[in-house]
Amino acid sequence: MGIGFCPGCGTALDETSFVQEFWSGADRHFLCWCASCRLMCTVIIGALVGTEPEH
Amino acid sequence: MLSAEKNERLTRVGPGAPMGELLRRYWWPVATHDMATRVPVKRRLLGEDLVLFRDGSGTVGLLAEQCPHRRAALWLGCTEDVGLRCGYHGWRFDTSGRCLEQPGEPTESTFKDRVQATAYPVQELGGLIFAYLGPLPAPELPRYDLFVWEDAWRDIGHAELPCNFVQIMENSVDPYHVEWLHGRYGNFLREIGGHDAPLPVVSKKHVRVAFEVFEHGILKRRVLEGHTEEDEDWKVGHPLVFPHMLRVGAAGLATFQIRVPIDDENTWHVWYQTYRPEGGAPPQESIPVYDVPLFDEKGEYLRDYVDGQDIVAWITQGRISDRTKEHLGRSDLGVILLRKLYAEQMDAVARGEDPLCTYREPHDVIDLPMERDKFGSAVEFRQLWTRESSIRYSPIKDEIVELFGDPVPTWA
Repeated sequence: MGIGFCPGCGTALDETSFVQEFWSGADRHFLCWCASCRLMCTVIIGALVGTEPEH
Repeated sequence: MLSAEKNERLTRVGPGAPMGELLRRYWWPVATHDMATRVPVKRRLLGEDLVLFRDGSGTVGLLAEQCPHRRAALWLGCTEDVGLRCGYHGWRFDTSGRCLEQPGEPTESTFKDRVQATAYPVQELGGLIFAYLGPLPAPELPRYDLFVWEDAWRDIGHAELPCNFVQIMENSVDPYHVEWLHGRYGNFLREIGGHDAPLPVVSKKHVRVAFEVFEHGILKRRVLEGHTEEDEDWKVGHPLVFPHMLRVGAAGLATFQIRVPIDDENTWHVWYQTYRPEGGAPPQESIPVYDVPLFDEKGEYLRDYVDGQDIVAWITQGRISDRTKEHLGRSDLGVILLRKLYAEQMDAVARGEDPLCTYREPHDVIDLPMERDKFGSAVEFRQLWTRESSIRYSPIKDEIVELFGDPVPTWA
């Protein structure tokens, strides 16, 4: 199982995007960076945590 | 885990590969100053075989290894007053790759005007020869502070390591390894070896770490056991300089660890050290260059010092670490951030943009942040680093210790 589509724009997370699995306790996380909309976020199974850009 | 496709994308450095194209946007050390002589030598960088030479006029050149005539290696050649002559049939090329002579061809022939050797721009800075293998116009060679300080001593250690450069770079955004690899494991070896006193400094536990992408790469901060956010390890931190260096040290002692991809499975590691005590160092006649050994007299990996421990951790991950089998946790967030930064910058290059740390304007110096008091004390760090890093192999090790005048530590 992985993350196939950007949770922000819905574009397929293809080879130019970045998806990295890691674990936090019992939770499986996927850090995603979408090359199309540049959204970086972490998908936790059952949740989405957005990374707010600097402002 | 990382998918096999993404691991491939992250680690392939040859021409045409996305990472290879990203890395070709930077200047790379291809040799130390002493390697560029009248005798041409073979070098390999980013999967390309090259020949480095200094002709009789003192100009340094870097050509593709194979002669465009009959493909013999140009390191089988002789330097002339201008350029390099192939040893096989005497064709001569200047440092721009222009063919100057074709002995054996008719005198009136213009054939030489239509033959070009592949040549790459080179520059000398701070005792290193830098090469640029990417599309022209080349960016400026970044004049990072350690390369240009006039009142510092330097030495340069180097070794070829049989592994991909990314796993070495990942070590630089992995602060927790310090307390375990150098603290626990290093002290375990000392215990086994009969040393009573454990190494201080590297044994302190991490309380908090943070990583921040900034103009020079990734800034790494840490709070160690017994310290606070007011300490320089947190307030200042030190950088991974994108895409290929770690800046590490403490007051007066600053190092670049430069990871130069030879090809997908080999890395030329350069420990570029500067010694600059308060008030500056006296003039240095030349920069010593030395080999950092990997093996002891029994043929076993040297592990009894900090850099040796790092080297073995990198190499034992495999020629190219199989990231489809890894299990990352929260303590690996720095590693994840670095991989994401590489992915992002590969994408920038594919879009035709200059990647991070590309300099197009001439400049005098690029100053980088670094703690003065590292792990709480500059003196304690220098005591450790001058004895337990690759500096132990420097031909000027004793002079360096004397230069700083730090007391001999009780654990030594």
